[in-house]
Amino acid sequence: MPDSVTAGQAGTGVTGVVAPATGVAGTGVSPALLELDAVCKSFGKVVVADNLSLAVGEAELVGIVGPNGAGKSSLFGLIAGDLAPSSGHIFFAGKGVTKADAAARCRLGIGRTFQVPKPFGAMTVFENVLVAVQQGGGLRGRASYAAAVEVLERTGLAADVNLPAERLGLLSRKRLEVARALATRPRLLLLDEVAGGLTDPEVAQLADIVRAISAEGIAIIWIEHVVHALTATVSRLLCLSGGLIIGDGEPETVLAMPAVREVFLGTEVTAELRAADPVTGPAPASAADREQA
Amino acid sequence: MTWVNAVIQGVMLGGLYALFACGLSLMFGVMKVINLAHGDLAMVAAYIALGVVTITHVPAIWSFVLVVPIFAALGYVLQRTLLQASLNRGVITTLLVTFGLSVVIENALQQFLSANSRELNIGSLVSDSFSIGSQITIAYLDLIILVVAVAVLLGLQYFLSSSRSGRMIRAVADDREAAQLAGIDYRHVFGIATAIAFGTVALAGLAYGMYTQFDPTTGTTALLLYAFEAVVIGGLGSLWGTLAGGILLGVAQQVGAQYHAADQVLAGQLLFLIILVLRPQGITSRRELA
Repeated sequence: MPDSVTAGQAGTGVTGVVAPATGVAGTGVSPALLELDAVCKSFGKVVVADNLSLAVGEAELVGIVGPNGAGKSSLFGLIAGDLAPSSGHIFFAGKGVTKADAAARCRLGIGRTFQVPKPFGAMTVFENVLVAVQQGGGLRGRASYAAAVEVLERTGLAADVNLPAERLGLLSRKRLEVARALATRPRLLLLDEVAGGLTDPEVAQLADIVRAISAEGIAIIWIEHVVHALTATVSRLLCLSGGLIIGDGEPETVLAMPAVREVFLGTEVTAELRAADPVTGPAPASAADREQA
Repeated sequence: MTWVNAVIQGVMLGGLYALFACGLSLMFGVMKVINLAHGDLAMVAAYIALGVVTITHVPAIWSFVLVVPIFAALGYVLQRTLLQASLNRGVITTLLVTFGLSVVIENALQQFLSANSRELNIGSLVSDSFSIGSQITIAYLDLIILVVAVAVLLGLQYFLSSSRSGRMIRAVADDREAAQLAGIDYRHVFGIATAIAFGTVALAGLAYGMYTQFDPTTGTTALLLYAFEAVVIGGLGSLWGTLAGGILLGVAQQVGAQYHAADQVLAGQLLFLIILVLRPQGITSRRELA
């Protein structure tokens, strides 16, 4: 798509939805758990965060969609501390964390999964989770073992605990990503395309896990290409394009915005909208979005 | 029987090589650092031990109680400063930095401590031995070094596989980025790994100083190459492999020496080359650390 169109649509989109529809961020009623203040980041001429401001409240469940290269994973990198912003500030639980490295932010309570699972291959599934409980979660001894077992049960990995992680299949690897992030006992969980490449029943299983985590009061930001998996789960949806937030609000509202539909041209947004219809429920994923994932 | 004796002597010599090599193996396994100053560091440890013995008059054999912790601390600090800075600039930089370190150490030792050969005096233990039959003679010191080497490698393996810190080290060796997301500060882990490696190389340096004479160049001329060969024969990053590699190298050398004294080194190099050609991944192909 030509840049000019994106930019134009983005402009109108931003003016339309500048206040988050869920109200947590802008109202000042409860302080936000995560706050990005005018964060900028670019790789050469590719802008991945363009003066980005965002607030996510305690226990909020936020979905993020956007075309490839919109800056979704980079946004996670900025929040989790893998990437340093060129300007702007990041606050977590009231503390400035812009200068803190990834390990420190993890210990503060930001958990993250990778789009492509990165298990510690030579270690067992149990050890993968245990090391995260002990280092990121700060637990020791018996308490750490109990916590690791609990996380493994919740993520459906209890049968595979003694397997070397490199021998897991894709679904189990995705689950292990979630398990390891969860094991660090986060207050905010960043899920990067955990449903990508999975079959519909598998996606549904993962969505169940995500909803259960959310129900415990852990805030979640979930990036996903499989849009219907998101819309069926999240209460707030962001659409990112060219490092800008071009839509923010209720999932149906955001997906109906002209600016959002514009950036999704060619990715069957109408099919996705139908899939997102709360009456008919999630439709089977089309071959196109499987490919995308 | 002389052949049996040669193999036994080789196994014990191999213990010394394995002790040298395990620090090298660990640093490569965890950080992908090829430490070209490894042999020189062993010599520094031996010279520090000389100083410790001169000042405190403790028997040389107990000098490790002081030297090993000093070296471990030195390793941590060196990793967090010089080595981490060079790691941030890439693999080649790290290789050059450790090479530079090797040159600096060697010349500094020559400059300040002279090129004369020294040894750590352990009294009669250096020649005490016992015999099995008429042909096999085992020196107590050689046996002690072998036992220490096996104990260190066993202990290290146990530490890595079963302890909280060991698990953390393996996680970083596996995937540094993912380890950070598990809450692990990888620079601290690098420091710990280097501290352990320096502790073991100090032990190896002391063992060598008791075993035979050393001078400032011994580290590069006699030790570094054998340590590398032991690591490569055994398989990169595997501690068991390193022990096996060291022992194989020792045995090859001692058996070679049975033909002709000049064949000792040659036989070791031949084994190394044969392994490189036939089994470049080393004799243990299983990934145990990295």
